[in-house]
Amino acid sequence: MALSTPEAVETAPAKSDIAASHTRRWALWFAAIAVFVWVFYTFALPNLGSSGQTIVREWMPLGSVNEALVWVICAVGLNIVVGYAGLLDLGFVAFWAIGGYTAGWFMSNFFNQISNGFYFLSAAPPNQPGIHLNVWLVLGLAGLICAGAGIIIGAPTLRLKSDYLALVTLGFGEIIPQVFLNGADIRGFNLTNGALGISPLDNVSPLPFGPSTIAIGDASIAISKPLGPFDTTAKYVMFVLVAAFAVFVSLRIREGRLGRAWLAIREDELAASMMGVPLMRSKLAAYAVGAFMGGLGGVVYAVHNNSVFPDRFNFAISIILLAMVVLGGMGNVWGVIVGALVLAWFNSTGLPQFGDSFNQQFGTDINFPSYNYLFFGSILVLMMLFRREGLFPETRTRQVLQEAERSDAEELDGGEV
Amino acid sequence: MRNAYKIGALAIAGSLALAACGSSGGSGSSASGGGGGGKTVIISTDLPLQGSSKDASDATNQAIELYLKQIGYKAGNFTVELKKYDDSTAAAGKWDQAQCTKNGTDHVANTNEVAVMGTYNSGCAQIMIPILNQDPSGPMLMVSQANTYPGLTKPWAPGDPDKYYPTGKRNYARVVTTDDNQGRAAAQFMAKDLSVKKCYVLNDNETYGQGIASAFAKEAPNVGITILGNEPWDAKQPNYTALFQKIKGLGADCIYLGGIFDNNGGQLVKDKVAVLGDNSKIPMMGPDGFTGYPELNKLPEGQGMYLSFPGLTNEDLRKQGGSAAKLLDAYKAQYGSDPASSYALYGVAAVQVMLQAISQSDGTRKSVTDQVFSGAGITIPADVSAIGKEIKIDPATGDVNVIDITIEQIKGNAETTLKAWPVTA
Repeated sequence: MALSTPEAVETAPAKSDIAASHTRRWALWFAAIAVFVWVFYTFALPNLGSSGQTIVREWMPLGSVNEALVWVICAVGLNIVVGYAGLLDLGFVAFWAIGGYTAGWFMSNFFNQISNGFYFLSAAPPNQPGIHLNVWLVLGLAGLICAGAGIIIGAPTLRLKSDYLALVTLGFGEIIPQVFLNGADIRGFNLTNGALGISPLDNVSPLPFGPSTIAIGDASIAISKPLGPFDTTAKYVMFVLVAAFAVFVSLRIREGRLGRAWLAIREDELAASMMGVPLMRSKLAAYAVGAFMGGLGGVVYAVHNNSVFPDRFNFAISIILLAMVVLGGMGNVWGVIVGALVLAWFNSTGLPQFGDSFNQQFGTDINFPSYNYLFFGSILVLMMLFRREGLFPETRTRQVLQEAERSDAEELDGGEV
Repeated sequence: MRNAYKIGALAIAGSLALAACGSSGGSGSSASGGGGGGKTVIISTDLPLQGSSKDASDATNQAIELYLKQIGYKAGNFTVELKKYDDSTAAAGKWDQAQCTKNGTDHVANTNEVAVMGTYNSGCAQIMIPILNQDPSGPMLMVSQANTYPGLTKPWAPGDPDKYYPTGKRNYARVVTTDDNQGRAAAQFMAKDLSVKKCYVLNDNETYGQGIASAFAKEAPNVGITILGNEPWDAKQPNYTALFQKIKGLGADCIYLGGIFDNNGGQLVKDKVAVLGDNSKIPMMGPDGFTGYPELNKLPEGQGMYLSFPGLTNEDLRKQGGSAAKLLDAYKAQYGSDPASSYALYGVAAVQVMLQAISQSDGTRKSVTDQVFSGAGITIPADVSAIGKEIKIDPATGDVNVIDITIEQIKGNAETTLKAWPVTA
C-alpha cells in the first residue's frame, strides 16, 4: 500500500476535480431517480390497470421503498465510520435504536407525567399528555443525541485498533438495546416502557416547520394535514429528503479537510499521524457524524412504523448494514446506496415474492425466506472471491486493491527466482 | 408465467361473479347493491407463518379453511373469500414490526377486504389496530383469537386503550380472555386452594410475561397473598441458583412464573426445585406460556407444577361436546391429528364473529365494523359456536363474555386438567 502513496499524492488535485464533477452529476441522478419514483407512484400507477397495479403492489410497494430508504440512511452513516475512516463498527444498531427511542420520547404521549402535554410546532391533536415536537426538530435532536452517544462510546475506545475496536462496538450494540428492553423501571421511572415499546407515535406534519393549522383571529386554516398511515407518498418525499441530506453531507465532508483526514487514517494510520492528522479528533468526528445519520435513520424508521419496540434492534441489523456497505463498495456513497436498496428490497419483498412465484410455477412448497441468510452469506463469499472492492468501488479503493494484488504477485515471482 | 396465473385467477373470479349474479337474479332480489345481493367480500387472516409460532398459525389457518368450506363460503347474502397474510419474517424468526406495518396498509389497500382475523401477537396488534382504525373507508374490523394483552381493549397502562383508536371509534374485538383474568385466576387459585401467603413473582421481561406477572401481583393482595418481589429472569443466564437463594432467604412459600417456557424455563424450573425444594412443598405456577411443552411435562422437577390456560384446551373442548367437538373431529379427519394449538378453534370463533357482522352489514367496511360496535353487538349462539358455548362481544369494548380459565397440573409426565376456574372481579 505504501507503494501507491506517492502516485496518489501526485495525481490528487486532478482526481478531486473529477470527483467533484462526478458528485454533481450523481446529485442530478439522485434527484432524477427520486422524482421519477415519485411520478411513477403518484401519476403512472393509477393508470396502469388492475393487473399492473397488482404486480407493482406485490413486487415493489411504496412502503417497501420507504423502508429501504431507512436502510439507505443508516448505511450511508455506517459508510462514514467503516468506509471513510476504516473503523470497523459492529454495533451500529445502537444508534438506530437511540434515534428510534428519541422519536418515541418526543413525538408521543408516552411521558404521561406531563399531563397537558408539551407542544412545539406539532401536528398532534391537542390536550394529550406527553411531549409533542415537530418531526424535523426531533430529527435534529436525535442526530445530536446519537452524535453525543457516538463520542461517548468513541472516546475511551479509540486507542484500540481493528478487531479490538470491533469487539467493543459489538458490545455497545448489544448493551443499548438491553437498556431499552429493561428500562421500564429505573428506580421507579419508566424510561422506555420495556418490551411493550412506545406506540403509537404522533402523526407527523409534512411541512418542514410550523403547525398543521394557522389561526388567524377566530378562524383556523389547515395548511397541511398530519400524515396518517396511508400517506406513503408524502412519507416517501420526506424520507427522500432526509436521505438526500445524509448523502449530501457525506459527499461534501469527504472532499473537505476532515474527509481527507479520514481517508488518510484509513490508508495508513501511522503515516497519517506523522503528516499531522489529529487521529483522536478525526476518529471521534467519524463516530459522531456516522452516529448522527444513524439517529436520523432511527427517527425515520419510527415514523415509518409509527412505533418503537426494543426487540427489533438486534445484532443481525448491524451485520446486514455492514453487508450493505461491503456489497455496494466501501467508501463510495453511491455504491452503498445501491447496496442498501438491493439488500433491503431483497430482504423485505424480493425474496418472499420470488419464493411465491417459484412455488406457484413449479408447484413446490419451499420456504424461500427462511434461506435468507444462506443467500446473504453466499453473496458475501462470492463478492470476497471475485469482487473484493464491492459492486461500485471507490476509484481509490480499486487502485489500492489492484496494486496490492500486483505487488503480491511480484513478491511471489521474486520468491521463486 | 405469473400472468398465466393472473389470467386464470381473473377467469375464476369472473365466473364466480357471474355465477353469483345469476343466482341473485334467480332469487329475484334486485335491490341494487344495497342488500349485497351475492357480492363477494374478502376476509383475511394475519398470523406469523414462520418461526416458532408457525405450527400454531398453520393449524389456525387450516381450521378456518375447513370451517369456511363447511358453511360453503357464505355469510348471509355474501360470498366470502379467505386471504392469508404473514406478519413474520424469516430473518426475525417471529412477527416483525415492519411487516405488521406493511400488512396493515395492505389490508386497507385491498379494496374488497372487509375484516381481519388476527393477530397472534399483541405487539403486532398494537401496530395494526391504529392503522386499520384510520382507514378512510372504515374503520376496518379486526378480531383476534389470541391477543391477551389487556390494554388493547381496557384501561391498563397509561394511555391504554384510547391511544390505539385515533379516530375515537372502536374497531377491535377478541374472542379470548385477557392476561389480567388469567393472572387473577392464578392468584385466586393459589390463595384459596393452596393457601399460600407469600409469593415471589418472576417474569421473562417480554410484553406477555410482564403483563401476566403484574396481573398476578395486582390481584394477590386482594386474596391475602403478600408479594415479596416481581423481577425479570434473564433468559441468557446459565443458572438461577443465586436468584432462588435470595428468594429462599425472603421466606417465600410460592413461586409464580410469568413468561414463556422457551425463555430458558427448563433451567428455571430445575433450579427452583434444587434450591427451594419439591413443588409439593413450595408450589410453583405458570401461565399458558408454559403449556404444551412435552420437555417440561417430562422434567422430573416439573412434576406437581400448576399451570393455567385462558380458554379451554382441545381436550376440554372435545369433552364438552357440541359444535366444538364436531369441528375438532372434522379437523382430525381432514388433517390426521388435532390442531397443534388450542388457539385454532378460537381462530374459527373469531371468523364466526366476523361472518356474523358481514351478514348483517351492507358489505362495506364501515358497516361491518358498526355491526360489532353498535346496538347489541354480535352474539354467536352456543349450538354453532366453535368453542361450544355462546360468544357475546361487548359492543363498548370489544371484549368477549366467555372467561374460561383452566387450571392444570403436571402429573405423571403429562398436563392434567384439575378444574375450570370461575374468575371473579
